Amino acid sequence: MDTETSLFESSEMLATFLSSTPVLQDSWRLCSLANTAATVVTDHVRGVAYVAFPGTVLPSGEANLVALDGAPDGLFPPLQHRHAQHQNEDPPMIHAAILDHFRSFYTSTTFHNQILAVIEKSKAVVMTGHSMGGAVASLSALWLLSYLQSITSPLPVLCITFGSPLLGNDSFSRAILRERWAGNFCHVVSNHDFIPRLFLAPLPSLSAHHPHFVLQFWQLLMNILQSDSERAKIFGFLLPYIQEWVANMEEECVKSPFSPFGNYLFFSEEGAVCVDDAAAAGKMLELMFTKASPGSSIEDHLKYGDYTEKASWQLLMRKSFTLGEPPESSYEAGLALAVQSCGLANQESISGPAKDCLKMAKRVNRLSPHLNAANLSIILSKNVPYRAQIEWYKASCDKSDDQMGYYDSFKLREASKKGAKINMNRYLLAGFWDNVIHMLESNQLPHDFLKREKWVNASHFYKLLVEPLDIADYYKNGMHLTHGHYLKNGREERYEIFDRWWKEREVGNEENNRRRTTYASLTQDSCFWARVEEARDWLDQIRSESDMRRSAMLWQDIDSFERYATRLVENKEVSMDVLAKNSSFTLLMEELQDFKSKTQQFPPQFPAFLNGEMVP
Amino acid sequence: MGETVGNLIGLNDEVIHPAATLAVEAHNSPSKQFLVKKIKIRHDLSSVVVFAFSGSMLPKDWSGQPTFAKTEIATGEFRSLTSLNDGGDAVVNGSFLRRFKDVIGNLSKAKELKEATEKKRQVVFAGYSSGGPIAILATLYFLEKQTPSPRCLTFGSPLVGDRIFGHALRREGWSDYFTHFVMKYDIIPRIMLSPSSTEHEQILDYFKSKFDRKNINPAPPSGFYLTVMGNASSVASYEACRLMGCRNPSLDIIKSFIELSPYRPSGTYVFCTGNGNLVVVKNPNAVLQILIHCAELGESNTAEVEKRSLDEHSAYLSELKDCLGMQAVVSLDGGPATATLNDLGLSPQAMLCLQAAEEFENRRSRNLENFRKYLEKVEVELEKMRKYKENAQISRLGYYDSFKLQNEDDDFHANVSRLELAGIWDEIKEMLKEFELPDDFEKKREIIDLGTKYRRLVEPLDIANFYRHSKDKETGAYVIGGGPRPKRYRFIQRWLEHDEKKSFGSRSESLFWADVEQLGIDIKKKGYLQEIEERIQQVERNLIAWIGDRSLDDDVLLENSTFVKWWRDLPPQHKPKSDRIEKLIGEMSERVTQGTKI
Repeated sequence: MDTETSLFESSEMLATFLSSTPVLQDSWRLCSLANTAATVVTDHVRGVAYVAFPGTVLPSGEANLVALDGAPDGLFPPLQHRHAQHQNEDPPMIHAAILDHFRSFYTSTTFHNQILAVIEKSKAVVMTGHSMGGAVASLSALWLLSYLQSITSPLPVLCITFGSPLLGNDSFSRAILRERWAGNFCHVVSNHDFIPRLFLAPLPSLSAHHPHFVLQFWQLLMNILQSDSERAKIFGFLLPYIQEWVANMEEECVKSPFSPFGNYLFFSEEGAVCVDDAAAAGKMLELMFTKASPGSSIEDHLKYGDYTEKASWQLLMRKSFTLGEPPESSYEAGLALAVQSCGLANQESISGPAKDCLKMAKRVNRLSPHLNAANLSIILSKNVPYRAQIEWYKASCDKSDDQMGYYDSFKLREASKKGAKINMNRYLLAGFWDNVIHMLESNQLPHDFLKREKWVNASHFYKLLVEPLDIADYYKNGMHLTHGHYLKNGREERYEIFDRWWKEREVGNEENNRRRTTYASLTQDSCFWARVEEARDWLDQIRSESDMRRSAMLWQDIDSFERYATRLVENKEVSMDVLAKNSSFTLLMEELQDFKSKTQQFPPQFPAFLNGEMVP
Repeated sequence: MGETVGNLIGLNDEVIHPAATLAVEAHNSPSKQFLVKKIKIRHDLSSVVVFAFSGSMLPKDWSGQPTFAKTEIATGEFRSLTSLNDGGDAVVNGSFLRRFKDVIGNLSKAKELKEATEKKRQVVFAGYSSGGPIAILATLYFLEKQTPSPRCLTFGSPLVGDRIFGHALRREGWSDYFTHFVMKYDIIPRIMLSPSSTEHEQILDYFKSKFDRKNINPAPPSGFYLTVMGNASSVASYEACRLMGCRNPSLDIIKSFIELSPYRPSGTYVFCTGNGNLVVVKNPNAVLQILIHCAELGESNTAEVEKRSLDEHSAYLSELKDCLGMQAVVSLDGGPATATLNDLGLSPQAMLCLQAAEEFENRRSRNLENFRKYLEKVEVELEKMRKYKENAQISRLGYYDSFKLQNEDDDFHANVSRLELAGIWDEIKEMLKEFELPDDFEKKREIIDLGTKYRRLVEPLDIANFYRHSKDKETGAYVIGGGPRPKRYRFIQRWLEHDEKKSFGSRSESLFWADVEQLGIDIKKKGYLQEIEERIQQVERNLIAWIGDRSLDDDVLLENSTFVKWWRDLPPQHKPKSDRIEKLIGEMSERVTQGTKI
């Protein structure tokens, strides 16, 4: 496996590709316009919309982290949503002052209209900003990505920041990775720029020593961005602060709560590299700063125009290897060149760690995504018998004399060999699909993986077939008594993910409009049985409920379930097993009608079930 | 080392320089569409007939709408220039194609061509600069017509086709017939990697006045190098990232924000290093990287390189005169030789790109090797299927109907085999789409045969499963445009049709059951309309033909099969071939009774 893939180091080549496109230069051009005008600036270039946020607006508020889900206005819902399985992680948090700052844009009436007007006539959108503007651009891009996800729009979004400060914690970075949005962010960091490293020093020490340091810093910076003449004065003022900051950073007694996310494009005098691993990017931020002087750390924050322009022609220069002969192995040679491009080749004490850092970024996955997908397909076909056995099981239960259907058969199963086998298959398949999701979320699969019908279809089919068994198992083991009902408390995250894949797939115009004339082979709502179980519970509660108001509410719930079930049955979106004579659905419906006719409170709504016509 | 260019490209060295001379002459003779010259080879006294094409430096003959003048080509005369899986048809520069179409009529009628064919003389199509694309397309045109393989020689030609174009050439085994000479800095072979722009026009204008001889020394344009090569570098670095296995999703996200040139090199490239050495490269990814990297800025400043990039476009004749016949030729395939790279002046970064290009080819061969075990598995599963079919036949039901009923354990096992086989073939499909298998995979006899065997044996089970679950009610008939028929069968069928040079859809014997099932359903729904009647007749004709050539298995004829029952129920007036088919059914019944199968 090693020979297959650890052959090449592509971080420098990716940086070359980025620098060769006009996207970087166009972004910077607009950023500097936004800085001068101190307002949001938009433009269209070759069908691509650019929105640049000014870096000159002063943030107010505190320099600490706030949780995203604490926000009352529900920004970035996909990042807030945390499934039960991630409850033990910290919540995603971001810098409070920057969030407030973004909110000041976001709440203005013009913001939405401006952005929506811009994207309407574009084939793609770039959000960009320099300095503080970069942080705002990141949040705007996250907002836009959330919005586009909610309307399932495929519009490509790219966020390019120049010298942006760090924004959020590790969970925030991981939540973005999980949404597969990390590739939409490219943070450009020039050589010694101090701002992207600002929050690498532990916050407590930063604010304890200088409570107003950050605020003052921005204030001064804002002046520099707008006029060059202030420069010398401000340098003199800032340098002592930075020196102290560096001293604090080196102590490293407390780890910074901030973490990078997305791609980092590092520019040095020698060239550029692009890193997408959060830990590697954080380490690179430190390593490349070791040679910085207080002067260069401010200078570099203001030199993005020079860096991007230089990068656009530097890539056509024939670069030689500065330190003797390049290593024999192509991977080592690539690493050495990348380190050279970071401007770190000449110092052994740093070039070693820099190499380790790039290796670390690559370590996560050595196989190329396409080969991973290929292997996965083979494993999928090996898993097919497990699935086929479950199908077989369903068919045999559906045909069986007890007329229960496979849901109830599995729920009421005795310790039989057959039941145990099916249960084992259920675990094996769950393991397989969890691994697929894990690989997808950690970028080990091709970017267009979900555009492959095969995988979306296979996951959907798996869900429809197996989730009823999960539900059956949940209620069989009485989990609902200890943990609450399945829908809210027992549903595995993978099924929610598959719901989303299915919803977001590209639907041909043929589908969806066709009305079924026979019952579906699998019930089209995989949670159907969970809803049946809940309805059953409500009915039991009503029997013992004396409070009229409570009882009325329960009736309301039962009513809406009945409407839902009727619709599903009428549209033939249920499989035959649901309507089996002894299935818990049929029994529930009979009991319900019976109960209703006794109480005479509600007219029966399910005539078909009374005369048994729909029961095969 | 030790070989001449001629050896490496399979053409006598004596041909190359005269061909180049003729190509340059033809390019500058706009009054004639092409020039012809017969060249005698000294040592065996055979003759080679060279056709060289005129050129044009007008921007409209180089660019057009949409960007890059992208035009899909695979229709009529270029039927091979397509992907046999999902990749679509090859894209070529539409302006070049238009100019080719202006020429082809007269070229086909040329008496010199007829004579060369009659006397079995080697034909060479040659082109310099914008004459190159016409030579390339003309060569392809005659390769498609299966005339004795013509050769193509170009000198400083711009790129013509995209990745699928090159893939199709290599798949058909034609790649070696094309040889392109490129000077180290010549801008024209690189120009199509950049979208048309004012810089393009400046360059073309400059050459136009130079070639028209109105102005011997026109003022050279400046400032184009960074634009053209910058765009070319985007293409090269994007491809290099992919070759290096870059897994960063940004690569493709950013690509959707820019428009990269679709054009890629194909055929054999001969790079003239400028110091008398020639470097021969066949790996198309390596060629692309060399095109960009060997023209990089070195010690000299941009203005000098820019001037060289124009001057070298006119330097082919003198350069080739010096280095042909000499043995200073290096073939780069099979590992980059460092000495050569010194000649081309490639940077360490460029060397890595070349290694990645080479590794990619190796990986494709390795993938094929690794796949052998899956192909063996296919054989094993197909053998199980065959047994299943045989057993089913003994029970006089046929495996199609047995599978549809799913009553026996055997049916279940067959279903598992079906699903496992589907997994393997889907994977092959996916790998082909990503170009992870050798280009000629879909032309390999053993693969086509195995695929066809699989398709004929297993697709009926997919159809049985489809109609068993009445999936037509959800998705429509099994066979409709982009409908529910699994793509793997479509592709495998296409491999066979392509191989037999038949039209798409002519080899659909594995769909026989689907036609029968769907007809049964449609008759119930619509009755015996004209259209239905025609379809019944078609099914009868197909049956007779396919049973005849054994592409359809005879167990459709078993007394209890869905087909026989359905067909027997048809009113007699709708069964024109009744006698013939009854006879086939009778014969089958006899064979089964005797327990022997012919």
